[in-house]
Amino acid sequence: MQYHRPTTLAEALRLVAEPGARVLAGGTDLVLRMRDGRERPDALVSLGRVAELAGVTLGAGSVRLGARTTLAELVEHEELGRLFPALLEAARVFGSMLVRNLATVGGNLCNASPCSDLAPPLIALGARVELASREARRELPLGDFFVGPRETRLAPGELLTAVVLDRPGPRDRSAFLKHTRVTVDLALVNVAVALELDRGKVARVRAVAGAVGPTPLRLLGIEALVAGQALGPELLAEVGRRAGDEVKPISDVRASAEYRRMLTGVLCKRALATAAAAEVS
Amino acid sequence: MADAGYIGQPVRRPDAGDKVSGRTYYIHDLERPGMLHGKIKWSAHAHARVKHVDTSRARALPGVRAVVTAYDTPEIRIGFLRDNFALKRDKVRQFRDEVAAVAAIDPDIAARAVELIDVEYEPLPGVFSPEEAMAPGAPLVHERDAAGQALASNAVPVRYGHLTGDLAEGRRRSRFVAEGSYSTQLVQQACLGTAGCIAELDTSGNLTIWAKTQIPFLAQRDYLRALEALGLGGRNVRVIVPALGGAFGTGLDTHAYEYIAILLAHRAGRPVKMLFSREEEFAFLSPRQSARFRITQGCDERGLLVFRDMHVVQDNGAYTSWGATYPTVMMVPATSLYRVPHVRFAAELYYTNNTYCQAMRGYGGPEATWAIESNLDELARAAGLDPLEMRRLNANVSNETTPMGLRVTTCAMRECLDKAAARIGWTERRASATQGSAEPAAGGTWRRGVGMAALMHVGGSGRIYRSDGGGVILKLDDYGNVNVTTGGVEMGQGHHTALTQAVSDALGVRPERVHVNPTDTGTSPWDVGTHASRGAFIACNAAIRAAANVRQKLFALAAEVYPGEVKKNLEALKKKRPAEPVPEVDLAALARPERFELRDGILFVRDLPDAAHLRVELGRLLRAIHFRGVRGTVVVGEAFYEPPTDLPDWDKGLGNLSATYTTGAQAVELEVDEETGQVRILKLVAVHDVGRVLNPQTLAGQMYGALAQGVGYALYEEVHSEAGRITNPSFRDYKITTAGEMGFPIELELVETNDEAGPFGAKGAGEPGLIPTAAAIANAIYDAVGVRLRDLPLTAERIALAIARARRAEGEDSGNERT
Repeated sequence: MQYHRPTTLAEALRLVAEPGARVLAGGTDLVLRMRDGRERPDALVSLGRVAELAGVTLGAGSVRLGARTTLAELVEHEELGRLFPALLEAARVFGSMLVRNLATVGGNLCNASPCSDLAPPLIALGARVELASREARRELPLGDFFVGPRETRLAPGELLTAVVLDRPGPRDRSAFLKHTRVTVDLALVNVAVALELDRGKVARVRAVAGAVGPTPLRLLGIEALVAGQALGPELLAEVGRRAGDEVKPISDVRASAEYRRMLTGVLCKRALATAAAAEVS
Repeated sequence: MADAGYIGQPVRRPDAGDKVSGRTYYIHDLERPGMLHGKIKWSAHAHARVKHVDTSRARALPGVRAVVTAYDTPEIRIGFLRDNFALKRDKVRQFRDEVAAVAAIDPDIAARAVELIDVEYEPLPGVFSPEEAMAPGAPLVHERDAAGQALASNAVPVRYGHLTGDLAEGRRRSRFVAEGSYSTQLVQQACLGTAGCIAELDTSGNLTIWAKTQIPFLAQRDYLRALEALGLGGRNVRVIVPALGGAFGTGLDTHAYEYIAILLAHRAGRPVKMLFSREEEFAFLSPRQSARFRITQGCDERGLLVFRDMHVVQDNGAYTSWGATYPTVMMVPATSLYRVPHVRFAAELYYTNNTYCQAMRGYGGPEATWAIESNLDELARAAGLDPLEMRRLNANVSNETTPMGLRVTTCAMRECLDKAAARIGWTERRASATQGSAEPAAGGTWRRGVGMAALMHVGGSGRIYRSDGGGVILKLDDYGNVNVTTGGVEMGQGHHTALTQAVSDALGVRPERVHVNPTDTGTSPWDVGTHASRGAFIACNAAIRAAANVRQKLFALAAEVYPGEVKKNLEALKKKRPAEPVPEVDLAALARPERFELRDGILFVRDLPDAAHLRVELGRLLRAIHFRGVRGTVVVGEAFYEPPTDLPDWDKGLGNLSATYTTGAQAVELEVDEETGQVRILKLVAVHDVGRVLNPQTLAGQMYGALAQGVGYALYEEVHSEAGRITNPSFRDYKITTAGEMGFPIELELVETNDEAGPFGAKGAGEPGLIPTAAAIANAIYDAVGVRLRDLPLTAERIALAIARARRAEGEDSGNERT
């Protein structure tokens, strides 16, 4: 097996285009799969030295997360956490500290695990992904990026280079909640919401649930239910009753579909309440 | 006994420094010159005929040194009923059956070679629960027993039962009755150090095996049988126990992988190491047995227990380990936790095509206590009694003989209950007693409750074998060091610490002069094994007796050399202070064995402890005894302690199997999120009658570890399987408690009853910490949310779904009332 450590994006794109090559970012998913023999790549292309892919950039109107930004960097970035509370909370409860130190934004999204903690908040926040190949660059809403478990719209030879978020407005709020069996665990269900509150009413909202379908799912019925409404106790109770109907969970060793539906309702209700109650910073 | 007071002190573990600095060598680190690496080909079916095994491609792989199957090696039968085989032929009965094995020059080649072995199977229908196994016409897991007799059913041929009094009479006399079915799950011991061994045969056919075992001497006997099967009868087996990263019962049996290592080493003529990865440990090592209890208890109008009827069905899995003897320990709480005049206990075990099971900490105690203590709370509720009062009323007391014939000598159960209740704030905090306090705060969904449970367990070993003894050898060297050899096993619990302190006090030396040797059947005296919380109890009792023997020998020899040594003291004194008069000493009168005392490594005259010129350092004394020409000798003492107990009649469930019994009570305060079922423990109190604290630090370590395991057993842990295949074979989906789950205060209180049978008054304390935890937690959950969960583990999912069901039923009820 070949091991490449390119230092420029151009070089990385050339290597990634080789047949049998796999991108190595944090390695927290890929290395385990290789150890189990489920992946046997001919070449590994490490992104660890590609400067163009590193770090968080705060622009005037947008925020750019380089693909190899680690989860730990997200947690430690004070301004980012203030702008996107849902993202900060998701990063904070993502894996263990050891995993957060290695795992990257791009790696987690491209791994396309249905129970990713990162994808729901980013989708709720309206994130876009930048994709690059030797030939072209394109941008895609993150909500359109996932196809199924471990399946994305990434074309052969294409690399996810960054995630881009619009800077939130003064009335934008967000929240993320995750239910697990023990402290450090994969999500049984996670829910992220981002909303704009206008004079106490929901002007705009996205609600996304993870680990309850083949990809993170937008809860469109809930979004429609709360749009234009004030998030009072009765409406929230209705959210709690209905959110579970919008997801397609499976029963597995971690939880039953019934429990996952139940949790989706509880978490969605609570996430909306948390976001609505949040102070604007 | 010198009793310099090291017992009861937080003497540091002798292995602490090496362990925290990574210098301890575990089986994983050990290598032998020329060593090969073994790997097992596991069954691809839960139940199937083996049609053909083709190993030719594996044999041809460069680097492979040996390949073995049941077809080219002698049959080696293993297990408690000899119903298991080192390698399987003709039929596999569980997914983890060993069909073939290879030894290669490195682990990767061995792993590749295993993949090259082709096995042709004819799948058979399987049975995957005791219910399926006992159904008429169910496929048989074993067609014949070890003696070749045809078997008619899947019932494991073991018999355990007990009957005292008259159940019908008990029912008649009961005013209140509670009945229920309670189950416990399969759990993995989840040792930090995974399983492994190295087998090595010398050219004469003698075997040395470095094994992860808690029973080196029973293992020696087992391996001798294997050598016999190999045509090496009459050879020697030496079992060496390396540093172990936890065992928790996994070392109470010998395992197929160990015999396979022996077969491979024999075939290859080189040492062979077998080592399990974490995933292999989860999938291929026996977990704790699951159990389903049916229990009925009744009490009179005051709450006094009148009868208990308890029946357990266990899923044995495909083969029988010592774990099949869990009912022997279940009988202790079944017959003797609280005072019950009419009591019946019966156990049935069934073969299934699930993974076979083995021992784990508590050994039936946590299972039976889960059923009894959950049901007792239900009975208290039926009788309208406070569960604490119910327990106090029926508590065991000192100097009683229970229906099983257990002679409970010292027993602080009531004191433990009271202390646990006081520490948790029982009266103020019990939600069901203080109406309304369980109502969640405005908008909140967390409800609080408290619960408690007690235990009764063996505290003075537990006789399940012809001998329940253990020996200790004390060897004194020319420098005043004491080398201790024990047959007991240090697996992380602090065995060597307790033994060091016992020897220091009993003999009269400083702890840093005591060195405990690794356990090795070539040098250690026999011991039945380190289980049943018996390690410190047996070894320290043996050490006390061995120390008495050494002191007797030493003082007799000292009488001969002492005058000469004191004269040297006096000469030195004269040289140092020529002006001062030399003390008058009547050496003939002083140099008498009965006048000597040894403390902290100094020999002196008992009634003249302060006379410096009469004190002789132990090393000097030993050299004087050793280096005196033809009369020279060295001092070694030994003792074998066999506790004064009975091997019970298991069929009748009668016999005093332990020299003393231990009790305790745990109380927990927790809150439950009504909507998600999540449990947050706020405080856990554990009050245990430990006889006497040998070392507060080690004991606290034992208890904290047991409580963490108990919390895991209660809330998180379960080995899942589908049609015999384990579906969560890693820590990703098998969840044990970590620091994140244990972030609540634990209050530990140890009650000292100073039991006569115990060394320095101590009782066994290795297991009790996890025995009542699950029931205490379930009782607290009931207090918090009014929902009774009867199946372990009490996962958030089960709690949430049970609450939702209960609320729906309430809604329907009140709806009915309205109409």
